[in-house]
Amino acid sequence: MAKNIFVFVEYKDRSIRKVSLELLSKGRELAEKDGSTVYAGVIGFHIKEIAETVKSYADRVIVVDNENLSNYRCDTYASVLEQILKKYQSSFVFGGSTVTGKDLFPRLAARLNAPIISDAVGIDFDGNRLRVKKPLYGGKVMSLLTFKDGVSPLITFRPNSFAVEKLSLNGEIIEENIDIAKDPKFVILNTDRGGAQKVDLQEADFIICGGRGMKGPENFQFLEEIADVMGGRVGASRAVVDSKWREYDDQVGKSGKTVSPKLYIGCGVSGALHHTMGMDTSKVIVAVNKDPNAPIFNYADYGIVDDLFNVLPILKEELIKSKQEI
Amino acid sequence: MNIIVFVKQVADTEARIMIKSDKKSLEIENKFNMNFFDEFAMEAAIKTKEKFKDTKVTACTYGPKRSIEALRTAIAMGADQAFLIDNTGFESEDSLIVAKILSAFARKEGFDLILCGRQAIDDENANVGVMVAEMLGIPHASAIVGFEVTDGKTVKIENEIEGGKETVEVQLPALFTTQKGLNTPRVPLITGVMKAMKAVIPTVDPTTLGLSKEEIDRNASGIEIISLEPPQQRPPVKIIEGETPEEKVRNLVKALKEEAKVL
Repeated sequence: MAKNIFVFVEYKDRSIRKVSLELLSKGRELAEKDGSTVYAGVIGFHIKEIAETVKSYADRVIVVDNENLSNYRCDTYASVLEQILKKYQSSFVFGGSTVTGKDLFPRLAARLNAPIISDAVGIDFDGNRLRVKKPLYGGKVMSLLTFKDGVSPLITFRPNSFAVEKLSLNGEIIEENIDIAKDPKFVILNTDRGGAQKVDLQEADFIICGGRGMKGPENFQFLEEIADVMGGRVGASRAVVDSKWREYDDQVGKSGKTVSPKLYIGCGVSGALHHTMGMDTSKVIVAVNKDPNAPIFNYADYGIVDDLFNVLPILKEELIKSKQEI
Repeated sequence: MNIIVFVKQVADTEARIMIKSDKKSLEIENKFNMNFFDEFAMEAAIKTKEKFKDTKVTACTYGPKRSIEALRTAIAMGADQAFLIDNTGFESEDSLIVAKILSAFARKEGFDLILCGRQAIDDENANVGVMVAEMLGIPHASAIVGFEVTDGKTVKIENEIEGGKETVEVQLPALFTTQKGLNTPRVPLITGVMKAMKAVIPTVDPTTLGLSKEEIDRNASGIEIISLEPPQQRPPVKIIEGETPEEKVRNLVKALKEEAKVL
């Protein structure tokens, strides 16, 4: 039987999240090799324009447009996806290892009695079977996993695991009318999306992270300015968050968020194990620290040994210049 | 009110981890703790017990015999009782199987509220808690940072959503996974530690929970390990030279552009 790959599409402020484009791009690449069909699932309210964009990335776009789906809720989204997945018999279901993905995919897996691999960082063919790469123990071990015949697994991938390709398929849009089951035992009192304006930490291509060496919360302004120049995000070490200099949302590390940006710059970050576990899949790591023996230099690709307060203002100017040259 | 807290014993972040020669299993240095995120779940349960007098807190884990130590920590923190579901002979790490076992235990034990950490810090899956909620047919909220039992029938929680936070009222029975920031887990008092040392912790055979051996042993998993590999080593750091900070930064930006090609 022909296989198919189903990608659950997430979007924010009317545009598709990068992680979903990454998964659609990877799904396409895999499908080219074994003739699978790529399905994209777009669910929500007033999502026609999103479906139009997704069309370039998938063979079939399943759209469920309903006012009861205007905001993500685990109960309603799981109920809709369950019905779609049963109908289209997906062989593999991909999603982002995002706040939503982590909430939704386990519930869906349990409902479908399907195996789940979460927070994977890679997928390729090993002969005829798919092989998934998933880090364990904060990256100390990389596991390579596959599936038994006949199972239809759910897999969530860490954002920034794959490149976004420019695709120009012209997939078929299929609208599904689905009854939506809402859980009455769950009442939302208040929603605060204060952080919604910021680039998602896990999706950011550029992260500049401050540690204890930043000396105080006021100095994070230097990092904010550089993050703005680069269109990225400021991160923080655990010590910084525990001292209440930054919000928990900014924390990179074992007890915070796992990130893998293209470029990570650590400023005054010592590089304790619980921090490096959350960032060592970054493509390029730069460390700025005046202590040449700081453990962060064991993980970094490039290092500057100097006082970061001398380095940061110049770094900002140089990055602005480099942006202008392009 | 009956509260079940599911905990896991995990390797300490500093523990040495070696891949065995079969490349399918690990040898872990004997340094284990209660999972970091489960401590917040324990604390929330004990706080609730302090507020509502007739509350019973049950800690439970599915794991090898050594994980009894994590249950002793739970009792030292204030749990009334604990159960070790012994995985000897099964040893499946598959989230789907673990969730089946834990939900079978919860069904048998009875509960109003289930708490557990948002994820274990060893396999970093963040699956089992939510899967247990689905299998028990109860609502859940994941990664909660606020928690208050209002009247014994409903709980008001605050949890992380995409780009912000949400306050939700949830009718019990329900399950919540706990996130850092929820509370400050207590350090057990010496009296608690003494009590935990003496506590009798029953061992439960998972096949007595209404699940067949075939359902829960390693072969029941749809996932196969091909191999376990050490992570790719990064080449040694290049320290950027320069007489002045200006020169160092210029050389760095040049390297990022021309060599690493990330600018």
